[in-house]
Amino acid sequence: MNYGPLLFLGILFTLAGSWFGLVLMPNRQLGDLQPHVNTNTAAIYPQPIPGEAAQGREVYRSLGCNYCHTQQVRPDGFGSDIQRGWGKRRSVARDYIYQKPVMLGSSRTGPDLTNIGERQPSYDWHFTHLYNPQTTSKGSIMPSYAYLFDVRKIGYGGASTNALKLSGDFSPGPGFEVVPKPEAVQLVEYLRSLKSSVELPEAPLPKAE
Amino acid sequence: MGIISFILIGSSLVFPAVAVWALWWAGRNGQLSHSDKAALLPFDEQEPVGRMTDVVLNRPRALVSGSGRISS
Amino acid sequence: MSTPASPSVMSALSPRDTAESRDRRAELAEIDESTSGTVLLFFLAGMAWLLIGTLFALIASYKLHSPEFLNQYAWLTFGRIRTAHLNAVIFGFSAEVAVGVVLWLMCRLCRVPLMAQSVINAAAIFWNVGLVIGIGGILRGDTTGIEYLELPKYATPILFVAFALIAVWTIVVFRFRRERHLYVSQWYILAAVLWFPWLYSTAQLLLVLEPARGTVQAAVNWWFGHNVLGLWFTPIGLAAIYYFLPKVIGRPIHSYYLSVLGFWTLALFYNWNGFHHLVGGPFPAWMITISIVASVMMVIPVVSTAINHHFTMVGHFGKLKYSPTLRFIVFGAVSYTISSLQGVLSSVRWFSEVAHFTHHTVAHAHWGMYAFFTMTMFGSMYYILPRITQREWPSERLISLHFWCTALGIILYVVPLSYGGWLQGKAMLNATTPFLEVVQGTLPWLKIRTVSGLLLALGHVAFFANLIWLLARRFGPYRQPEPMILAGVTPAAPVGK
Ligand code: HEC
Repeated sequence: MNYGPLLFLGILFTLAGSWFGLVLMPNRQLGDLQPHVNTNTAAIYPQPIPGEAAQGREVYRSLGCNYCHTQQVRPDGFGSDIQRGWGKRRSVARDYIYQKPVMLGSSRTGPDLTNIGERQPSYDWHFTHLYNPQTTSKGSIMPSYAYLFDVRKIGYGGASTNALKLSGDFSPGPGFEVVPKPEAVQLVEYLRSLKSSVELPEAPLPKAE
Repeated sequence: MGIISFILIGSSLVFPAVAVWALWWAGRNGQLSHSDKAALLPFDEQEPVGRMTDVVLNRPRALVSGSGRISS
Repeated sequence: MSTPASPSVMSALSPRDTAESRDRRAELAEIDESTSGTVLLFFLAGMAWLLIGTLFALIASYKLHSPEFLNQYAWLTFGRIRTAHLNAVIFGFSAEVAVGVVLWLMCRLCRVPLMAQSVINAAAIFWNVGLVIGIGGILRGDTTGIEYLELPKYATPILFVAFALIAVWTIVVFRFRRERHLYVSQWYILAAVLWFPWLYSTAQLLLVLEPARGTVQAAVNWWFGHNVLGLWFTPIGLAAIYYFLPKVIGRPIHSYYLSVLGFWTLALFYNWNGFHHLVGGPFPAWMITISIVASVMMVIPVVSTAINHHFTMVGHFGKLKYSPTLRFIVFGAVSYTISSLQGVLSSVRWFSEVAHFTHHTVAHAHWGMYAFFTMTMFGSMYYILPRITQREWPSERLISLHFWCTALGIILYVVPLSYGGWLQGKAMLNATTPFLEVVQGTLPWLKIRTVSGLLLALGHVAFFANLIWLLARRFGPYRQPEPMILAGVTPAAPVGK
């Protein structure tokens, strides 16, 4: 009695099945999606994100923001994503065609960020929030990213224009100021670039009531 | 879409066919008979069915000397 | 409990002694001996990763309710330390201990000594070097950002080489087997070692080396991510249960046919499950639906395996008193059933709508990876280590401490966090609840999780101490004489039989 060959065949075929169905087929169907050209305005969507924001994406990846934040809006009627303002419409495959890696995320310890660029366009807000989330969101469990900032003595020319406006406990002390490092600027550019408001044929904006 | 449905339908015919063939072939080779004997494989003369192995905790008093180790 | 020991317990303490059984014994001892260096290497490295991974876990868990903790260093930030924890316990601890168990079981069941150990020892070294580089890379910020595949691309080829060697070696052992009959455990092991390189290489290729377009990455990601659990850890855990459960209690598995059914249905359905992680995501409906269907089909292998294990154990539960292996293995087997059924539930749309993206999912992952897999591996190590070192466990107390800390610890982890995660999901569904209120609602559950983590850590330290003590008895300057229970043939003790 020798099960060997049967076993090998079975092992091979079972995985081949799902490799086929869950790897090959999605690749066939979604693997060469193209951007959509709006016939009225000739606007092309999506587009690769510009340089600084793209660098900010690397900062986002490297610090692991994606373990607390998703970037996917579930359809209207499935979850409260749209009601919470996390997106104007559901996310669809085409939204992601230029992303490497795609960071859909699997945990919403923090809010979804698909649409954060529209919800919160303010540089100041983002900088102070990243410097210490308690400044804007008391009771948040998001960690502080203070190491993306320089704390330095205010020079003779007075405070820098890009210094954070911090008050009370958060202020670095008299004579000092907090300014964002390039990584912080890139990261905020990235966050500001995240928008989900362009209509696609497969994902119309839900009718406003 | 054409090629996808072709592959899907094709594979959904081919895979089960191969599976059925493999089963038939295995049966003919006697690979499926007497398989319950294999359930005895973990056992041998020294550790036959009916004998527990790995008696480590709470050993019966009679066999244990002071330190919790077995005396011989 | 003061039930008198059953005859089989007594006979375990005074085995029979014939010339033939002595030969067979000598053969087994020779096989165990041949695996000893390699298996020890994998176990020790795995345990070191467990301790490191536990420390990372504690830091991450504490940070999640007290974010100011250690927040001045980028390398200790939540997003990195959490990821380092995951990779240390999955690819460090779980995978390495699994390989140790696989090699030992394979050699025993095939009745061949482990050949050319140096090659596979080299694989162990490669593996660990790759991991140190990789996890260091994650802490430096070089993560790929892809869940379960975060190890940076300069580390993964090393891991792949190591893994390929391990797979080849397992197959070589199988090829030269002296025992022609195959046991259930061997199917699972063979399947696991053949499946994993395929999964890993596909995922590396389509995600890291030559990334596929857009959400295809997410698809491949979860095909891989779920299958690491389903097609690598689960089969190895089941292989261990199928061997140790009958072996310890001295009774063959209840139904061999049920185990056949369990194996093939698992092979057929589990690898289609991955996309239930993407319910509601940016994918065509068929992809999600196919995975939900396959997830529900998992009821068949899970229930048939559970029935099989249960009926094997029936009438033998008293033996839990004596055998640490049995305690851990039974705990693992029961957890397998519960966590799998919970997984089925989680994949269904209405449940996913609430629980997806919450701490509920984290709890579920720990049901599977810890309560089932890790506990099963602990049980296996309790059986294997004395036999490859020819020494008994030095301390019963430490064994009990290990068992109770980990068993209670993981229950304290999983039950409250599952519930807390559910509440979190419910709160999030109500769009009028401010997000910060949702966050605040999770805090008590996150704190309980840290407490449970401390319990688990204590258990791990107890086990590690016992292990080091055992090795000191074997290799240290004050070597103990061989203990009688494992020496195989011994003068019959005055009691029993
Ligand atoms: C430990 C989990 C965690 C991590 C890691 C984390 N966040 Fe957050 N984040 C939160 C929580 C909780 C909130 C909600 C409270 C608040 O505004 O701080 C939040 C809120 C936000 C918001 C505001 C969203 C809104 O809708 O108002 C932004 C933007 C943000 N995070 C960006 C980031 C970035 C960028 C990173 C990585 C550098 C990051 N987060 C890492 C938990 C986290």
